Amino acid sequence: MLGKRTLWQNCLLALTLGVVLFFCLFPFIQILSTSLKHQFDWGNPSLIPIKLNLKAYQELLGLGKGAEVPIPETVKRLLDNPLLTKEAKEKILSRYRSTRDVFPFPRFFLNTFLLSVTAAGLSLLLAVFGAYAFSRLRFKGRSVIRRSILFVYMVGGVLLMVPLYQMSVKVGLAGTVWGSLFSLVLIYIIQTLPVSLYMLGNYFRTIPFALEEAAATDGCSRIQALFLIILPLSVPMLITVFVYCFMIAWNEFLFAFVFLKQYHDFHTLPLALQSLFVSKNAIWDRIMAASMLTLSPVILCFVFIMRNLTRGLTEGGVKE
Amino acid sequence: MASLKLKNIHKRFGSVEVLHDINLEIKEGEFVVLVGPSGCGKSTTLRLIAGLEDITEGEVIINHNVVNLLEPQHRNIAMVFQNYALYPHKNVRENIIFGLKMAKVSRDIMDARLEKVAKMLELQDFLDRKPAQLSGGQRQRVAMGRAIVRDADVFLFDEPLSNLDAKLRHQMRSEIKRIHRAVQTTTLYVTHDQVEAMTMGDRIVVMKEGVIEQQGTPMEIYLKPSNTFVATFIGSPSMNLMDAKLFPEHVEIEGQRIHFKEKIQRPDFLLPKEGLPIKLGIRPDFFLDENFASRGGSLAKINYAKIDLIEPLGFDKELDVQVGTQSLKVRLDLRTTAKEGDTINLCFDMERAHFFDIKTDKNLFIHPPIRPQA
Repeated sequence: MLGKRTLWQNCLLALTLGVVLFFCLFPFIQILSTSLKHQFDWGNPSLIPIKLNLKAYQELLGLGKGAEVPIPETVKRLLDNPLLTKEAKEKILSRYRSTRDVFPFPRFFLNTFLLSVTAAGLSLLLAVFGAYAFSRLRFKGRSVIRRSILFVYMVGGVLLMVPLYQMSVKVGLAGTVWGSLFSLVLIYIIQTLPVSLYMLGNYFRTIPFALEEAAATDGCSRIQALFLIILPLSVPMLITVFVYCFMIAWNEFLFAFVFLKQYHDFHTLPLALQSLFVSKNAIWDRIMAASMLTLSPVILCFVFIMRNLTRGLTEGGVKE
Repeated sequence: MASLKLKNIHKRFGSVEVLHDINLEIKEGEFVVLVGPSGCGKSTTLRLIAGLEDITEGEVIINHNVVNLLEPQHRNIAMVFQNYALYPHKNVRENIIFGLKMAKVSRDIMDARLEKVAKMLELQDFLDRKPAQLSGGQRQRVAMGRAIVRDADVFLFDEPLSNLDAKLRHQMRSEIKRIHRAVQTTTLYVTHDQVEAMTMGDRIVVMKEGVIEQQGTPMEIYLKPSNTFVATFIGSPSMNLMDAKLFPEHVEIEGQRIHFKEKIQRPDFLLPKEGLPIKLGIRPDFFLDENFASRGGSLAKINYAKIDLIEPLGFDKELDVQVGTQSLKVRLDLRTTAKEGDTINLCFDMERAHFFDIKTDKNLFIHPPIRPQA
């Protein structure tokens, strides 16, 4: 029968899939495993921790009491000073009680989240109008522009880094934290817009033009037809494009490093993780827990895309 | 209700002209059918009226206003598309009232109209379903509901039944006629199906290659086609066109002389002595078996027609016959007992016969080639 595989072919296929899956998943499993291990267990090649350790996660998420760090003798003598107020003493002691200041995960998470959402949102908005224009409007040079958009990717990010930073400095954006953030958002939009345009444009082309014509005869302007008919039908692709832009911004390190290095409070997670690796607080379970937590939104995004991409919204609208 | 007028319409796509000087007037409440083969420009005409295509030259006038520069949403027309074009993410109710929502009609009026239309189209039970959950016929009814729920000046139908099966198409044909009778909105209906055109239109406009070939009532078009294209396009099976020679007193087909009787209409123009080569057009339905034809009248006769094939259709039977070297399609009633291979004598009413110019394909009665005799 056509397409029927033999037992050997099945075995080979399963083996190949297994190997590929192992290579893809092993790093994630390793990260998860190490993040849940105690220090004595780090050398153990087994992926299953001997004793479960959630302390790193508690620390990073601010759920635990905070690790007690031994107070040096000099500080103890300082605390004995009767002239010190209670608040001042508490302030000094808190430094030895909490590790939150060492790696303020929620703050970095929020920074990254806000930056990524802003960049993805703006990129999506621009992509909607751009992709609509490319897929529906007739104007001179449309196909040339449409095809040349992807040329942006011919120049690598590393090459663009210096000129972009220089430009940003020259226009006075890199001098302030908000200017740097603005530059970063702009760069993320530029980085993601071509693919967004490409993906959305192709999707818009699958939506029958007759629907827009029907909307027009029903009294819709072009913009109304876009927002009332086309976009609701494009929800799966809008989500996909948003998630794609979000992930690019979420994982981006190079430009964030250049633009935000000096603004510690505004560091993004990839930047903060890198700092954590080279800091004196580089403890494996904490590094891996932070990596795991950084990965989690990306994994969630993928699950979300998978669920949405399977839905076809245009079914039944027109007779094929 | 409104009148619709197309004045000297031309449409070009680049260097290709697809509509040539279209002039058409539709009165208030009239149901006009645009019919023609694929690619003849009928849908383009409809789209020009709807504002979905730009007009190269000419004027579209709705209710005495030139609408050339108006966007579709400002023309107050309702259109039913060939492929339904229902909004897949909206349910039937939302699909139907979408146009009313855009027009900001009050909730009460909207509900009342929805109820009326749903009842008229028997859609009450499907209002909460999505288009994907409907059958082809139901979807088509929703598409029509979306059009008729609005108080549009003109309805435009773009081959709305072409995606339905034969039975449903027949049913929906009657439905559309019934709806038109109820709402009396000016309607322009595009189809390539001549049966639809004949059965539905108050008036038919036949198009070919961007030109209006003829317009008139269905019977005018059927009985007095202006050229061979209209003659063969309208009517099923299509009209037989036989090579013949026209003389002042008779027509000669394959050596047989068919004399005109005194009282019949005859070509009243100069004819050469050796006869004028023509195409003689006779509809298959107008033939009679000589055995069952009443004597007298203006009946003419073709003898020795050899039957090649018989297709029984119940009451009628369609016969492929051979007269000399020419093939004819003939429809006779069930009384005829002749079998395949037999020879039969056929009668036809000379008043129903048409003479077409072999060069111009025009009907010589409507477009005489030579000035009538003094």
